[in-house]
Amino acid sequence: MDYEFIKSRLHLYAVLQNIEDLVQYDDVAKKLIKDWNIIIKFSVRKAGSVYLIFENGKCTVRELSPKKPDIILFFTSPAHLNKMFDGKANPIPLKGITKLGFLTKKFPKLTERLEYYLKPDDQKLKDKNYITINTVMTLNTALYALKELLLFDPIGEHAAKKVKGSMVMMNVNKGPAVYIEQKGNTFEVHKGYAQQPLAVLEFNSIKIANDFLNGKMDAFSAIASGAVATKGHIEWLDAVSPVLDRVALYLS
Amino acid sequence: MKVEAKGIKYSVSSKSKSKTYTYTKSQKLFQRALKVIPCGIPGHFSPAPFVPPTMYPFYAERSKGSHFWDIDGNEFIDYMCAYGPIVLGYNHPQVEKAAQEQNSKGNCMTAPGKIMVELAEYLTDTIAMADWAFFAKNGGDVTNLAVMIARAATGRKKIVMIKGGYHGVAPWMQGYGHYGVIEEDVANIIDIEWNNIKQFEEAIAANPGAIAGFIATPYHHPTFADSEFPADGYWQRIRELCTQHGIVLIIDDVRCGFRLDIRGSAEYFGFKPDLACYCKAIANGHPISALVGVDALKTVAAKVFYTGSYWYQAVPMAASLATLKELRRLNAPVLMNKIGKKLFEGVKKICASYGYDFKVTGAYSMPYVRITNDPSNMLHQEWCAECTARGAYFTSHHNWFVCAAVSDKDIQKTWSIADDVCKLLKKKYGDKF
Repeated sequence: MDYEFIKSRLHLYAVLQNIEDLVQYDDVAKKLIKDWNIIIKFSVRKAGSVYLIFENGKCTVRELSPKKPDIILFFTSPAHLNKMFDGKANPIPLKGITKLGFLTKKFPKLTERLEYYLKPDDQKLKDKNYITINTVMTLNTALYALKELLLFDPIGEHAAKKVKGSMVMMNVNKGPAVYIEQKGNTFEVHKGYAQQPLAVLEFNSIKIANDFLNGKMDAFSAIASGAVATKGHIEWLDAVSPVLDRVALYLS
Repeated sequence: MKVEAKGIKYSVSSKSKSKTYTYTKSQKLFQRALKVIPCGIPGHFSPAPFVPPTMYPFYAERSKGSHFWDIDGNEFIDYMCAYGPIVLGYNHPQVEKAAQEQNSKGNCMTAPGKIMVELAEYLTDTIAMADWAFFAKNGGDVTNLAVMIARAATGRKKIVMIKGGYHGVAPWMQGYGHYGVIEEDVANIIDIEWNNIKQFEEAIAANPGAIAGFIATPYHHPTFADSEFPADGYWQRIRELCTQHGIVLIIDDVRCGFRLDIRGSAEYFGFKPDLACYCKAIANGHPISALVGVDALKTVAAKVFYTGSYWYQAVPMAASLATLKELRRLNAPVLMNKIGKKLFEGVKKICASYGYDFKVTGAYSMPYVRITNDPSNMLHQEWCAECTARGAYFTSHHNWFVCAAVSDKDIQKTWSIADDVCKLLKKKYGDKF
């Protein structure tokens, strides 16, 4: 699979899902979508599609929607979507022309907020609330991206052969958690704690998780020094570690 | 409870006797190390696979016999044996005497010492299939040389190896996906499953006249899974296929070597490889490895240019000769398996009395062990960590090693620790597992 395709899958399935957490944890975003009752479909030719379902002050991001979308944003190619994420292209609205006001005025305010949290700097990370939200998003992005890379990235595909029957959970001690399970020929990612995880990578604190996930700390040092705890099938953690490092190759 | 195993009777009191260790100095030194050494302790000595690392010692101070002491002064019965090299016990008197005597005469010199020839003669006399010997430093040096010789001898590129097999750290050995390994490094490697003759036949059929060598360990001992012995007739069929198709048969005896059979592990399993790689057990901790081979490959081996700055050191060769003589005198592989059987069958009984299934696979001299009650391995990891923190050094990954110096007293103490830890875990988890 080519770079643009994988990158677009990461944008669709690993980045956009962060809106769920954004509207849950960020007061500004929460206020923005309070009265939204709308379904937006992102459809990318030869890459896939995803629905952003806003209702009752919440957002859920799914590959399938129980209802038809109100707006369809079409992208002619994976590269087209990637350009939009770089701010260099616009989607083609296939449905919802009457909602142009929403698309051009309201929705961009939400994506700006998403961008604010996904592009940290040292100053922003000093804020406790910011670092918490950024860490939740980075943690979730990592495992949703891991799924895509295990399915499509050449090194990920190799690693996928070593994690048959796996269930790996990553969490912050007494904090956010996310886990990935191998199911049949694919993987499923779930936010929250697994009941009986088979492999665990636990960060001692939000700060450690943030440093680790942003490549400021190597895994071996972090684990040996006790900043990060691993247990269970650590061979699976070992197998996916180089794959997780590849997320930055696509999303940095 | 009582445990009885050939000549040893053991009973455990109802009170826990062992105290747990602390590692303040190890942790402090590790923090210093992190500043100047990548990940503090790199490679297979990294504490990262320990679960949790904080219950293991990071730095050793000294060692003797079957024990080592860490820099916090904690004493351990060592069931990792420096990950294999210690076979007679630390600081073995005959070995160290031979090394010191050679050192007083010369070590790293402008020409090899006489000892190199003496060692080659003794090694080829000991290992049944060996007609010649070539010396290097690490196991990976000689597994790599073996592959080069196979390619030089056949004029072919491809190498068949076993999935999950370990032959060192060169890129082709690590496999694609590991840091720093590119697709081209493994372009000529064909991975097949252990004990799967059909896959080897298919690989030969799919690559006619292209396979230079087949490399595997005598039995399969992956780092994170149970060990597996060869199925009946496996090696004999592999030998037939290699001979039939002109493929060089390479046995990586680096880990098993002299822990199964003093004549080499191929003898133990009843076949004759073309090349065999040795390292860990041949010098009881002194740095040396050896590739041995059949006469038909000697000329090609002579043509492959392969060397290193310290490969002609005489001291490790003297240590190796003394080690091999002692291994032969003791028939150490038989002895280590006897010790291991007594020890681990005893632990198995202790664990069983608490409802824990202590599964031992591979040879008793280097078993892969796990408590199977918890599919996540977490119970096993906790058991190993608690034993280690009481003085029986057990890792929860990788196979363990038993050296010839393990005494009945060591076994008794290990049983006592195992019992204490089982009791602790039973109290903690009840019948959850």
